[in-house]
Amino acid sequence: MLLSVRNLQTHLHLRRGVLRAVDGVSLDVAEGETLGLVGESGSGKTMTGLSLLRLLPKGSGRIAGGSISLDGRELTTLSESELVREIRGRRIAMIMQDPMTSLNPVFSIGDQVGNPLRNHDIARGTAVRAAVVDVLRRVRLPSPADRLDDHPHQFSGGQRQRIVAAMAIGCTPRLLIADEPTTALDVTIQVQIIGLLRQIQADTGAGIILITHDLGVAASLCHRIAVMYAGQIVETGPVRRIYRQPAHPYTRALLEAIPRLGAKRGRLAAIQGQPPSLIDPPTGCRFAPRCALRMDKCAEAPPEITLADGHRAACWKLADA
Amino acid sequence: MLELDGLTRHYRTRHGVVRAVENVSLTLRAGGTLALVGESGCGKTTIAKMILQLEQPDAGTIRFEGADVAHMDRAALHRYRRDVMAVFQDPYASLNPRMRVANIIAEPILAHEKPGRAALDKRIAEVLDIVGLPVSAARLYPHEFSGGQRQRIAIARALALQPRLMVLDEPVSALDVSIRAQVLNLLQDIQDQFGLTYLIIAHDLALVEHFSSDVAVIYLGRVAEAGPTAEVFAGPRHPYTQALLAAVPLPDPDHVLSEAAAAGEIASALNPPPGCRFNPRCPRAQDICRTTVPELRGTPHAAACHLVSEPPRT
Amino acid sequence: MRARFFRGVPWLAILVLAAVLACAAGGEAILPHDPNDLDLGSAFLPPAWLDGGSLSSPLGADNLGRDILSRIMAGSRVSVIVAFYAILFSGGIGALAGMVCGYFGGRVDAALMRLIEIQQSIPAIALALILAAALEPGLTTVVVVIVLTYWAWYARIIRGEIMALKGRDYIAFARVAGVSTPVIFLRHLLPNIFNTLVVLATLQVGQVILFEASLSFLGLGIQQPDISWGLMLSDARQYITNAWWAITMPGIAIMLTCLSANVFGDWLRDRLDPQLRQL
Repeated sequence: MLLSVRNLQTHLHLRRGVLRAVDGVSLDVAEGETLGLVGESGSGKTMTGLSLLRLLPKGSGRIAGGSISLDGRELTTLSESELVREIRGRRIAMIMQDPMTSLNPVFSIGDQVGNPLRNHDIARGTAVRAAVVDVLRRVRLPSPADRLDDHPHQFSGGQRQRIVAAMAIGCTPRLLIADEPTTALDVTIQVQIIGLLRQIQADTGAGIILITHDLGVAASLCHRIAVMYAGQIVETGPVRRIYRQPAHPYTRALLEAIPRLGAKRGRLAAIQGQPPSLIDPPTGCRFAPRCALRMDKCAEAPPEITLADGHRAACWKLADA
Repeated sequence: MLELDGLTRHYRTRHGVVRAVENVSLTLRAGGTLALVGESGCGKTTIAKMILQLEQPDAGTIRFEGADVAHMDRAALHRYRRDVMAVFQDPYASLNPRMRVANIIAEPILAHEKPGRAALDKRIAEVLDIVGLPVSAARLYPHEFSGGQRQRIAIARALALQPRLMVLDEPVSALDVSIRAQVLNLLQDIQDQFGLTYLIIAHDLALVEHFSSDVAVIYLGRVAEAGPTAEVFAGPRHPYTQALLAAVPLPDPDHVLSEAAAAGEIASALNPPPGCRFNPRCPRAQDICRTTVPELRGTPHAAACHLVSEPPRT
Repeated sequence: MRARFFRGVPWLAILVLAAVLACAAGGEAILPHDPNDLDLGSAFLPPAWLDGGSLSSPLGADNLGRDILSRIMAGSRVSVIVAFYAILFSGGIGALAGMVCGYFGGRVDAALMRLIEIQQSIPAIALALILAAALEPGLTTVVVVIVLTYWAWYARIIRGEIMALKGRDYIAFARVAGVSTPVIFLRHLLPNIFNTLVVLATLQVGQVILFEASLSFLGLGIQQPDISWGLMLSDARQYITNAWWAITMPGIAIMLTCLSANVFGDWLRDRLDPQLRQL
């Protein structure tokens, strides 16, 4: 397995108390596989991604437990300098939502795409320029050799996201974390970036963790899906199982709450209430207060039930069936 | 109910003239929901701002129930402002953080009426009830509410004077998936209950199909296609509409996305291509598309494309 | 929340400012001596801790034997009055101009901004000289000069704030709903720039006091027999070799007051409006 995360606990120490942003997350990503981490804001999907790189908010964020292993190597025990030297940007790279904040407006894109190559000794001296052109070509940026000295503002939103992708794949990382990579883009540009991510994976065989709230984007790109709610994974499985036979009431409710293109106009099935605070989460099933199928038993933590090969969900209803 | 005729808005900037909105004509039916669809910078928000009289068109007219808004006297314009309300995208920016909810909702009422304290409190309690918030919410400040609840407050405020038309500018796109359905259902209930007319601006096509009765697809300041939502979505005529619909990722792992339908980048409204503005990205572009601006043809389902002949009336 | 607000409160600065205010408010009643009482016998009386000093005049006396402590206490009155009126009028005029420019934009804005640029390129001292010649040197002139110098500073900052506020959706909604412009100013704009105004005003206290002292020192401000710290410096200037305390004591009073006002203003700014750090 390329990446194995077991019982990851990430805490944010805030003035109001300890926020359990990630509370016992376990997941696996195989080589050449895309795992979709799907959830709403505050569900812990971004914090899970940042925990893998230990890029948590300075001062307040801490990995409180669990293990992260990449190609069999434990990352939680590595020192900060080992992490910088060997992991961040080298073996695990990240693509963020807003390309404008990932790119520094005062440096040319040639510099910025070249930096990780220099830092990790992928290319040196005059070879850097050629390597940058090559990687920009791989993300299908038009006429890359002529544009190395241009600055981020001279590119469109979609092109900027291609440049960010180029920065990420320059060192041929084993794992790519893409955090809402298409959310800031228009739909005709979004489809191009989705195609780009697919192509990157086909070329490099990297594993991808796609963090998104968009069930459509996740369906079009992922092999497996993990649905997060209130800091925990409530259901995980192959993409077709998740969309065709969702087992957890939250997954089902989420799929019913979104309007679908081509479906008949009617009333949407809204989920009542709102997600719980993660400073003082409810005991037992965290979705129970909003769940239509709630039972007395839900006051206790639900067991994780295996429904089929690789399809698991944590719900009492499934335990009874 | 509301007619836009030849609406045009240009902005002069240091780099030249931005043709944000160019010759847009649209009609809103009373009780209907017209959706303006398009990508960022296409001019849909500028159209809404002109309807809301936050900006003035450079050319063209806006007629509300037959009366030209530009030629209204003070009193008529004040009445127009009472009949046309708005809900904005970001519920964090649309409520004044220093005002209590009661004062936020009272603001439009007090701009038009002088009700007594008790009558005002009663009205506030009523609209809070309609949007599904407890009366006790009136005493609190916006920061004490979640995003979805704030959007309910913004809806209550827009509803307080029982307007005729509501402009909804991306009303749910800042909200979480599980909250969106709550707010969309609420908006639909309110429309049914009060017979409101909606103009909704959205980029989510599935939402538009679900929520609107009519749709206008805007590309670089011009209407590319317009008509009843069901017809446009079932049989899109303009290549841009086709590209948009083909590019939407569906929550279905077996759906295949089409990347080919709209290649390249959206052009700049600062320097729009001549002829049909979509021609540089259009897979079917002909010579005429590069020289002549296509007219919007067909009724009620209209498209502005040289390649679409007016379909036979059935 | 409350406890956090009071963390790092500059108590010493507040104490100094309170003392200055108390002296100004107390008037003649609290002075140890009549500040204008001539007593040539005790001319150049040194402070109490030096040889020949006397506890009845702890900070010594000046060339005419007037008690320096009493004169400093009496002089605080001018500083406080000048600061109050100067800040009230420059802040009021500047805020109003800034709000109008920022909200309406267009030609009014362009015209007022030109005026501000012209105003800010006239040396304050030249303006003071002209005004002192045209009017009569005195407290009113000092206030007028300071207001004319500082209103533009407020106007610029408030204009920027209003331009940012104007784009907020709640103001767009108020316009859409037909809320009248004066109501928008009162309910949405003014409360949102209030913190900024308080911070600017506090930071200006030190500058105003220094300005008044400079004008009076140059003879363009407060005139005898009124008492001001700047005037005291001017009087004592020629005796600096034989009575250093006569010039040092009012100097220390000016310095302590300005320092305290600035420390307090900095703290208030950080508390109320962290975005104003660059000021």
